[in-house]
Amino acid sequence: MKPLHVLCLLAVTSPLLALLPQQDPPTNWAVEVERACTAQRYGMRLAAGKKIAAAGAAAVPALRAHERVVGRNQLPATLLEAIADATPCDPEVVALLREWATDRDFYWRATALRGLARRAPKLPESADALRALFADHVADPAWLCRVHARLGLELLGTPAADQPAETDARAVVKLAVLLLQAGRVPPLQPLLDALDDERTVLADPFGPRLAREAFDALKAWLGADHPLASGEAFTDRGSGVQALLEAARRKSGQTLQRPVPRRDPAVPFAGGFEILSCRNGDQFVCWTEAGELHFGLDGAVRVALDAAVWQRLSAARAALDWSGGLGAVVCDNLRVRWAAGEVHHKVAPGALPAGAAAWFEDLAAAVAAAGRADLAAVLRVGIGQFRRP
Amino acid sequence: MILRSALLLALAALPLGDPIKTSFSVLAGYTYEEGKALPKEITNLDEQVVSISGFMMRETPGSNPVNQFLIINEACGCNGTPKLNEVVFCTLPEGQTMEIKPGIVSVTGKFYVGEVKEEGVVVMLYQIDADVVQ
Repeated sequence: MKPLHVLCLLAVTSPLLALLPQQDPPTNWAVEVERACTAQRYGMRLAAGKKIAAAGAAAVPALRAHERVVGRNQLPATLLEAIADATPCDPEVVALLREWATDRDFYWRATALRGLARRAPKLPESADALRALFADHVADPAWLCRVHARLGLELLGTPAADQPAETDARAVVKLAVLLLQAGRVPPLQPLLDALDDERTVLADPFGPRLAREAFDALKAWLGADHPLASGEAFTDRGSGVQALLEAARRKSGQTLQRPVPRRDPAVPFAGGFEILSCRNGDQFVCWTEAGELHFGLDGAVRVALDAAVWQRLSAARAALDWSGGLGAVVCDNLRVRWAAGEVHHKVAPGALPAGAAAWFEDLAAAVAAAGRADLAAVLRVGIGQFRRP
Repeated sequence: MILRSALLLALAALPLGDPIKTSFSVLAGYTYEEGKALPKEITNLDEQVVSISGFMMRETPGSNPVNQFLIINEACGCNGTPKLNEVVFCTLPEGQTMEIKPGIVSVTGKFYVGEVKEEGVVVMLYQIDADVVQ
């Protein structure tokens, strides 16, 4: 073919190229994962996480490659939340969620478990395996793992049986909320009970947060049956709770009682600490000036220490040195707070100063000596995560 | 050190009217959808001096003092990632930094409502020029 003919051919055919279907360039998932993990803007990380989650299997190799390089615990909660809430059920995604859910040291294992629980009804071929996985976690020390395991079993139609009733108020409310969101109507009494919860722990108003969570879930479920039109507000809590109670009774047909107000005990606490640990479970300990320790979110378990022992512990506590860096908190943390000296710190795993670690060991020994070796053992496990190596 | 920083911030505050006290019950009390009009009770807060309580969180991991931080409704992200209408993006006066405090803080300053986009992505909905952090 002569050059002139080639030119003529090109002139004739090149406009036709525009008619060919246009293809978007393939997404570089490694870049998206990097953005989801390290973008400076929170909103950017959220958006990238959603994009990755929606991609399903296509993004999994990049996720695996990224976690191999930086470590699993460098994956942000935003990314895990997006994947958990997304719909893709590709085997690669399910396998990854299973790995994450069964990694005890992964901060967001509970979130991965939720991702599996939500997908479980759509994975009949994996139902038995998932059922076994959920059953393994219904008594997990981490409350969110327990909730998501129970959610998975419920959604598979085999609710957890022969398990002790859940006592953590956060877990009771969360499970009811998640079931409502999944289109199941659980016993609603826990949500109504939460509506009048004003409790706090170490000045953290966990009760009002539960109330808000329960209120929002009931509002969404009641829909057109909600006693207030959109935009209106109840005049006071009492009438609001009563109106919601009656609306929930009518719609569910359940026998529901008016909630008993939940308030902090009339005990002047002088300080305490909390351990929030997705690995070992949460612990809450508050104490009085006289050395009575209150264990648990509701402070229901009480241990009175010997006065001389408490005096010694108090003096040692006042002398603790918290300087020198307490680590970068990502998820699990130990928060200490007491009035004397206005101490209020958050400590990351592996960053507890040696002196403070020794003080907690002394505290555990005192609790054991007061007849509660069981509480002391749990405390030692909890603190162990925060000791410096 | 932390106390001194808080005091300096308080002293540096511009004269403020009585701040409007708001909360996450209001700011997060609706389902946010990108591009849709925000409720009037939210837009009414735009450019007002507002006070809000919550937990401080870094926008990016680290342990150094910060000039910008987030206020969220819950201390531990274990209970769900905050949505954009569950986050207030706070900026301290130029040149000022502070440590991330544990526990609940109250932030007061001029509040801005509206979607802020970067690279086509909504990155912020609520911002506050944090004059006082206590």
